[in-house]
Amino acid sequence: MPQPLSTKENSLFRQVIRNYEDKQYKRGLKAAEQILKKNPKHGDTMAMKALIMNQQGKTDEAFALGKDALMADMRSHICWHVYGLLYRSQKNFEEAIKAYKSALKLEPESAQIQRDLAFLQIQMRDFAGYIQSRSAMLQARPQIRQNWTALAVAHHLSGDLAQAEKVLTTYEESLKSPPSKTDYENSEAVMYKNTIIAEQGDYERALEHLKTISRHNLDRLAVMELRAEYLAKLDRKEEAEKAYRALLDRNPDHPDYYTKLLEVVNVAADDQAARKAVYDEYVEKNPRCDAAKRLPLDFLTGDAFREAAKAYLGLMLDRGIPSTFANLKHLYVDAFKKDTLGAIAQEYLESKKSSGEKAPSNGDPPKGEGAALYYLAQHYNYHLSRDLAKAMDFVNQGLELAPKNLEFHMTKARIWKHYGNTQKAADTMDEARKLDLKDRYINTKAAKYQLRNDNSEKALELMGMFTRPDSQAGPLSDLIDMQCVWYMTEDGETQARKGNVALALKRFHLVNGFFDVWVEDQFDFHSFSLRKGQIRAYVDMIRWEDQVREHPFYSRSALDAVNLYISMHDSKSLANGVNGTDANGDDAAERKKAAKKAKKEAQKAEREAAERAAKQDPNKAKSPLDENKKKDDDPNGLKLAATEQPLVEATKFLSHLLQYSPKFIDAQLAGFEVYIRREKYLLALRCLKSALDLDASHPRVHEQLVHFRNVLNTKLASLPAKVQEVIKSEFTALDASTDLKKYNADFQAKNSNSAPHVIAAIKAKKLLGEDQSKVEKELADVLSVKGIKFEDAKEVLALLRGWRSKEVDGFKKAAAEKWPEVTAFA
Amino acid sequence: MAEPQPPTIVEGATTGDVEDEVQATAKSAEDRKAAAAMSRLDARDDEASGAQVDQDAVNKAMQSLGGSGAAAAKADAKKVKIDAADVALLVDELELSKPKATELLKTHDGDAVQAMKAFVAVS
Repeated sequence: MPQPLSTKENSLFRQVIRNYEDKQYKRGLKAAEQILKKNPKHGDTMAMKALIMNQQGKTDEAFALGKDALMADMRSHICWHVYGLLYRSQKNFEEAIKAYKSALKLEPESAQIQRDLAFLQIQMRDFAGYIQSRSAMLQARPQIRQNWTALAVAHHLSGDLAQAEKVLTTYEESLKSPPSKTDYENSEAVMYKNTIIAEQGDYERALEHLKTISRHNLDRLAVMELRAEYLAKLDRKEEAEKAYRALLDRNPDHPDYYTKLLEVVNVAADDQAARKAVYDEYVEKNPRCDAAKRLPLDFLTGDAFREAAKAYLGLMLDRGIPSTFANLKHLYVDAFKKDTLGAIAQEYLESKKSSGEKAPSNGDPPKGEGAALYYLAQHYNYHLSRDLAKAMDFVNQGLELAPKNLEFHMTKARIWKHYGNTQKAADTMDEARKLDLKDRYINTKAAKYQLRNDNSEKALELMGMFTRPDSQAGPLSDLIDMQCVWYMTEDGETQARKGNVALALKRFHLVNGFFDVWVEDQFDFHSFSLRKGQIRAYVDMIRWEDQVREHPFYSRSALDAVNLYISMHDSKSLANGVNGTDANGDDAAERKKAAKKAKKEAQKAEREAAERAAKQDPNKAKSPLDENKKKDDDPNGLKLAATEQPLVEATKFLSHLLQYSPKFIDAQLAGFEVYIRREKYLLALRCLKSALDLDASHPRVHEQLVHFRNVLNTKLASLPAKVQEVIKSEFTALDASTDLKKYNADFQAKNSNSAPHVIAAIKAKKLLGEDQSKVEKELADVLSVKGIKFEDAKEVLALLRGWRSKEVDGFKKAAAEKWPEVTAFA
Repeated sequence: MAEPQPPTIVEGATTGDVEDEVQATAKSAEDRKAAAAMSRLDARDDEASGAQVDQDAVNKAMQSLGGSGAAAAKADAKKVKIDAADVALLVDELELSKPKATELLKTHDGDAVQAMKAFVAVS
């Protein structure tokens, strides 16, 4: 029960609420204290005070006061509501839901609490709860359309399509007069209903429904696309063909329409000429259309391909289209097409050279030769058709022709990168950057190449040219604000290479934080989208959010973090191991040095920030946002690096990786490494089995198989009986009686021509207890394996370093002789 | 946070009704006009639909909806006896939450070995 107040204080309390809503926190606080002076145990006021304090950033005090408020008045819905709001601002949604529910029990009529609860439920994907809340809200205000639509969305998302459709139909039937033709909300709602019908698989009815609404619907394109799709699904090919042709007349550059048109058009799948004829028709209609000319290259083979490719490539090169290679490189998986395209470009170049291309009459310089050189440079730079010497030759020819051309410089930098010479690559890219200082793209590229060359200071300086100049904390904080994922990932990898674990972890955690924010961002749309009536977009967004962490940006940085945590664990246990004493001393000293350096840098950054702040116009008021913004209490990640349980930290990233990217073999491999170290054998087995399923011939799968069997040989008996049973029946890939040393040796002999496999076998040898120095020697000898790439050698170098081997220097020297261009060995 | 949140979005959504989230403190006359137009835009839904909707029909419709959803949900709640030790084992070995572990055991009739086998198997 709310505690009664006198009239005067009652109006004061209302003022507190108003002040809070108007964000006049100081005034509200004053008024609240005035009430509390007379009624020190007034729960509602205490709660409001807590809420205001939370808005001012005093979270801990707010929580304490919120609790006190509840103690003072357990039966007040305001207290419970505020408690829920406090939890919500802490992002502890589960507790917030509980608190809201308590509040709602006390005050079932409150639309505000009901709404707050509903948004939390959909955010947490508590569909059953959301349906309940939405039903109650509809019950309360059935005359508002969005309440009906929202209930339908709730049913839809929880998978009950029929019920969702029923809700929408029920509303439509209750309308006295048809909505106006320009009613956007109605137009969207009926389209939404149509997609629900289609999702039920009932295309006949969906098509029927579409016919009734198509006349007045505002989203013409969606109507046309859906109609074509339904007709195709219903196998009404002639009509579908017409529908797709109509779409192509609207937009002849949409590849998807062509694909679908060919599915319904009456031509055999292997009749290339007929298929091409379909495209040719559109080439004729739209002479400037690219898709119709290019797409046939995907399916044509043999001479037909050569002819079409020649025509296409000639046209593109004549016009000097820079993206020609990027548009064609997906064809290179086919060896014939790869060679043919290369040959055609070569022919084209020679014909241009011998004919001595004349400038066209409109005065533009000839483009053909340069474009051909550019194409060929990229051709020989591409990993499937790589010949770096030739690529370099073409690029240099191109530079002679056009010394100020950005593309040639960039390609040259890429060639250096592929040589492994990150130094020259970074320098070349920087030259390119200087040709056009106002080009953000080339600036970004240059910064990235600096990072690849482990020069993060220079990279940040370059990035600073395009970040907000008035940002007080410098370019990095602006990059964080802008959620610049690529920079954080690349910089994290740079720091990891340089051994700066703390900063690297910080960067990877930042990326993870960005994804958290994106998940959080959907909160505002639960109310916004419904209010605006954009239901289809809203449902799309919800589904996208459910899989946002599948994005390669996430898996890459998460994998980096996991691997870094693993290496932290390993170097720790190595330090505590046999030859611990001196290594440990080294390590501690190194860490101290790093910490000192980081501290110095932090101080310097702070000083600079202060200077910048001082330089700014003192009259200009600081934006209130800057004050409110929480200061990062661990900008250099030292706390992250100080973790006692790196593997537990790694598991947090890992669980996301395994959940959202189960087909990513590197994730499964990393998962095995984490779980085997944590002695979670069933989970390790699960990763191993997935990896086996994805690619049984992957070198590290072999290594892990041996590792797992070897661990089981000693550990299996000590596990719980039920776990033993599961492992025995599920781990069949490598029999318990196998002689692991022999098995491993056989594997190495069989794959003696593949450096990655040999490395894996040698690592397995070490796991099986082979003498350390012998293994290290053998690893150093990997250099003599036929066809070894410098990337493999880099891995060996990292391994030897990780083992603190004495072979490191010798190996590096030998590798530098073998690959003089590679910066990592220099 | 990428950028400042628009002023119309309030953390905690404690401002009054859905419709009055447009902030009153607009800077210029132009802004005020825009804000007024926007709030009218939103309000229109209410008035318009309020006028068109037949209250009786709505009420009848509401009744026809009631109850149909809840019935389907409880159908597959099987009665299975679950050993607490098995739950603990699954929680520890597979790092599942307690409810998840219980659920997994339930779908395998309380057989921990079968449940773990299914978990480990490649889907």
